[in-house]
Amino acid sequence: MNRRKGYENGGKSGMKKKLKLLCVLLSVTLMSGTFAGCAATTTETTGKTTAATESIKTDSTETAATTTKSELTGAEKYPKFLTVDLFDGLANYQGIATGWFADVVKEKFNMELNIIAPNVAGGGETLYQTRSAAGNLGDLIITGADGGRLQDMVTAGLLLDSTSLFAARTNISKYQSAVDSLNKMVDGDSIYAVPSSVSELSPTTPSEGLDLTFGPYLRWDAYTAAGSPKIGTLEDLLPVFAAMQKAVPVSDTGVKTYPISLFKDWDGNMMCLAKQPACFYGFDELGFVFAKADGSEYQSIVDSDSFYTRVLKFYFNANQMGLVDPESTTQNYDTMFTKYQDGQILYAPWPWLGQAAYNTTENKAAGKGFMLASIDDMKVFSYGCAPAGNRQCISIGAAAEDSERLADFIDWLYSPEGIMMSCAQTMASCGPEGLTWEMKDGQPVLTAFGEEALVNGDATMPAEWGGGSWKDGISQLNYPAVLSLDINPETGFTYNFKLWDSVLAANTTPLDTAWQTAMKAKTTLEYLQNNNQIMVAPGCAFIAPAEDTEIATLRGQCKAIIIEYSWKMVFAADQAEFDSLLKEMQTTVKGLGYDKVLAVDMQNAKDQQTSREESVAAAKG
Amino acid sequence: MDHIKKRLKLSKTDVTFSVLNYLCFAIFTIICIYPFYYLIINTISANDLSAKGMINFLPQQLHIDNYIEVLKLKGLPNALGISVARTVIGTTLTVFASAFLGFMFTQPKLWGRKFWYRIIVITMYFNAGLIPLYLTMKNLGLTNSFWVYILPYVVQPFNIILVKTYVESLPISLQEAAEIDGASFITVFWKIILPTSKPILATITIFSAVIQWNSFYDTLIYVTDQKLYSLQYLLYTYINQANSLATLIKNSSGTAMNLMGLATQQTPTSIRMTVTVIVVLPILFIYPIFQPYFAKGIMIGSVKG
Amino acid sequence: MAAGGYNMFKGNSFETHIMPENYTEKKKKTSKLMFLSIVPFLILSVAFSYFPLHGWLYAFYDYIPPLKLSQCDFVGFKWFNLLFSNSTQVGQLMKVMRNTFAMSGLTLATSVLPVGLAILLSEIKCKWFKKVVQTMTTLPNFISWVMVFSVAFSLFSSTGMVNSFMQNMGWITSPTKFLDSDANVWLSMILWSIWKGLGWGSIMYLAAISGIDQELYEAARVDGASRFNLMRHITLPALLPTFFVLLMLAIANFLNNGLDQFYVFQNSFNKEHIQVLDLYVYNVGITGRSPSLATAIGMMKSIVSVTLLVIVNFASKKTRGETII
Repeated sequence: MNRRKGYENGGKSGMKKKLKLLCVLLSVTLMSGTFAGCAATTTETTGKTTAATESIKTDSTETAATTTKSELTGAEKYPKFLTVDLFDGLANYQGIATGWFADVVKEKFNMELNIIAPNVAGGGETLYQTRSAAGNLGDLIITGADGGRLQDMVTAGLLLDSTSLFAARTNISKYQSAVDSLNKMVDGDSIYAVPSSVSELSPTTPSEGLDLTFGPYLRWDAYTAAGSPKIGTLEDLLPVFAAMQKAVPVSDTGVKTYPISLFKDWDGNMMCLAKQPACFYGFDELGFVFAKADGSEYQSIVDSDSFYTRVLKFYFNANQMGLVDPESTTQNYDTMFTKYQDGQILYAPWPWLGQAAYNTTENKAAGKGFMLASIDDMKVFSYGCAPAGNRQCISIGAAAEDSERLADFIDWLYSPEGIMMSCAQTMASCGPEGLTWEMKDGQPVLTAFGEEALVNGDATMPAEWGGGSWKDGISQLNYPAVLSLDINPETGFTYNFKLWDSVLAANTTPLDTAWQTAMKAKTTLEYLQNNNQIMVAPGCAFIAPAEDTEIATLRGQCKAIIIEYSWKMVFAADQAEFDSLLKEMQTTVKGLGYDKVLAVDMQNAKDQQTSREESVAAAKG
Repeated sequence: MDHIKKRLKLSKTDVTFSVLNYLCFAIFTIICIYPFYYLIINTISANDLSAKGMINFLPQQLHIDNYIEVLKLKGLPNALGISVARTVIGTTLTVFASAFLGFMFTQPKLWGRKFWYRIIVITMYFNAGLIPLYLTMKNLGLTNSFWVYILPYVVQPFNIILVKTYVESLPISLQEAAEIDGASFITVFWKIILPTSKPILATITIFSAVIQWNSFYDTLIYVTDQKLYSLQYLLYTYINQANSLATLIKNSSGTAMNLMGLATQQTPTSIRMTVTVIVVLPILFIYPIFQPYFAKGIMIGSVKG
Repeated sequence: MAAGGYNMFKGNSFETHIMPENYTEKKKKTSKLMFLSIVPFLILSVAFSYFPLHGWLYAFYDYIPPLKLSQCDFVGFKWFNLLFSNSTQVGQLMKVMRNTFAMSGLTLATSVLPVGLAILLSEIKCKWFKKVVQTMTTLPNFISWVMVFSVAFSLFSSTGMVNSFMQNMGWITSPTKFLDSDANVWLSMILWSIWKGLGWGSIMYLAAISGIDQELYEAARVDGASRFNLMRHITLPALLPTFFVLLMLAIANFLNNGLDQFYVFQNSFNKEHIQVLDLYVYNVGITGRSPSLATAIGMMKSIVSVTLLVIVNFASKKTRGETII
């Protein structure tokens, strides 16, 4: 009896307190739960003011460098300060945009951008799906229009009918044909979105600048040490690789070198790296089809005589010769990148892999680095400038507040000033005049600040720009409104500073001069054009249509098989195994329904070709 | 003599057993610690050496830049506050709910006991899919609200099962004795069951606290207001930001040259490792806090007789 | 009394003897009161688990997220039939199910290990050693699988530590393919899984052990029981109830192996054996434009899980005399 009572007395006061506390907690919980439902949550809804404060800044010093027209801007034209939700599929930054570019936007439009970035938020398509299912994707939306997404967004009522808004804007109207061809994808006559990377250049002009997207880039020092042997066709690379490996047997840290190193991170419809050499011969992928840039050939990748199979055989032979990094099967992109930085890998199919990793100032001074080598029968694929732009587009949300202001903002992005300022991370546009560049003797040259910021990577902004780092303040939108290759009407030169004569003349490292002498050309593009080893796929308005869900599922299954067998074939023990794996792959995918998907892809490829031809004809006429 | 012999014999097997026991545990512990140790030394060594896989046993070229970079993250203190708040509040409520429900389901007098128990347990085996769940939260007004971190976690079938099983193993006489004295079921719960269930309560506290501390997916789906970001989610976006450059390069077409400058940034792997270390360290401190509750020998036997 | 203290709660035995007259009325009132007290929690459970189930409707449509359901096509059982539509499809699925069964089977078989660990750990007398072991063995649980793979890569890749070590010792001449071979995939996956979950999983068993009445041990020792007898007859039975409940629940989870572990370790060379159902669903990119197929598969998995649960519950009643839930 005593012990029982003991339980009661001993813990009584402590228990009572705990009980009270928990009761309070519980009731608070339940009450808040109910109130949360009623309470208006702020950021969920669109474009409402977070702060009603009007920022009446004097519209002077911040934009001093640019030529301001004497019209109303900033807080005078737009009295209400807005926080605009921008759903941006291209951005690598999430949150309120900050830095010098954001300051410019605030000055001009009295608004700040809250960037919602699926790339950073994670979850892949989840963010798009949940936000759109809830009925509000954002006030401004930057996303891809392919796969029927544009139509989906319109049908779901997520986009604002901007026909009159855009028609009244001069810069957007400059690219009216591009806008029209994009919005043709949507039922009805209204205009909803503006495409990105629009261009006024001819569709047969390469859009990449000095180096294309693809190309056989070799470690030039190893190549010259091996005697710069002639490479007649793709398979001739093998003995060249072997010789290069002998010439440079160890990396900078003493690890064994390999000409070829692969990774699996980017395997999409097929083994990614098995596709790249096909691009040296004018092919690009579209689903399971390899289509030649000039429309002369279409291949199904699983055919025994397709270029894809040819490349697999190439890698297989390379592996038999000990030219392939054995860690290729399990490593990821980052690991491989460090190997490039270390000088362990001697070949790269992309300039922005090999060159970015290894062509540092020190290495170039020592004559080491990745440069384009020539395969005699190659015709490297190049993306032509697209007057109709790219499938990424920008649009205004249906529930956006102050759509006039947002339309002005979009218009500004397409103006010369906007193009120069939005040095998107993937653009190389020149930056604001007076800050990073200036005109000298009728030629644009980089200022000292421009050298530091654009060439060396970073610089501190001057006081009138608000200080801070250049790099951190670049437009976080990452939206290339107009192709940087286009000519700036105000200067007569390209927006892209890397093409300016003044900048090109600075390429005088031992590596550059050695290459230029050997290839008898100043840049990769020049070389390819001189030797007719480039094939330009004319930029066109073709956008892949919405895919039937059943086809999408079949595609998913087939590509999984193709990828799995491709890797196995590359690392097969002998030719017999290679052949049997190839057969097995073909049988399995055909059994799954590959032919159905192939038919869709072939049709798309042919439609794309038609569109390309139309684009060329339109440009001529 | 026999008596002593018996004792010696026991000692011998005892000793071998003990030695083996300690040895095996030592080995197993080392196997568990090594990967974590590996992460730590890699995050405090030079990043390029780390990426080349050269840091395996001892750190080289020490630096703490990786951690300083994380500390510089925007919104870190706020996210930390949110995570702590949700861990404390969420865990308290979950533990209370689990304990209460676990106890209630042992009471035969409860109306529809078996039925409601099954209703709750089955929820572990199905899920409705992402979008319906999101829409439900939205309709309940929980998106962009702090309570989305708490309310969905309150009823945890797994915890309830653990508590129920534990309470069923307690002597029935405990409750009977109290009820003879006229205690209501609430009193029995508060004064009898809770104090004697400390071990299992400690267990589910640890489980709940860890779940709350580590969850980021709910922030990802339901929250866009930066002030409500949890710490884990902030760190997750930090990793993504480093990773997304690679995706960027893959998705762009025709602007290859301009990407050159980007590809030379910090490796995501070192960032991931740093984040892992930061996130795991607090957990290391949780266990010692709850150790006393696992102490053997709660004198339940004192009630008997 | 040796097994005393572990009576399963089988209802009140004193009802019929001692209770006052209005007991049944009072009982009904208590019964309702009890129910009312759990109602808030039931509401929460219903709101978050049952209410969203209306989303299972999406499985019968070709639901494309921005559009409202009414704007999408009704397709009936199309998604449910898709994976069984032809023999190659079924062949693929069979392979995947084989892998899933193997991994789940191994997981169930090794689920007894945390129990063993807890028992053995409770035999450690040295307090600080025990504390350290307890805390440190839970560490792997918090390292995400992505990180685990980083560590695994640095250890087991062709130029990793293990291969370098073995080559230096002269045991092998060329590197062994640990990560990209098809051999022993299930074994290595289960070993990693054990390493990661053992320490953490033993926590609740340690909790159960500390709930054991010390007097039982005293009494048994006086009777001359050896250490092993104590473990077998006192410690182990204390853990069995929890173990069985968790085992039965794990059986119901047979089809859910999880994604992370298999995703990070998979590559083209071990895919044949590593691709479990969850990973297969992910790989095929079913989470594409239409979540309908994923919903359909989720539905099927749920139905299988609940069915397994019912079966196991029934089997438990037949063999052990009582149900799990």
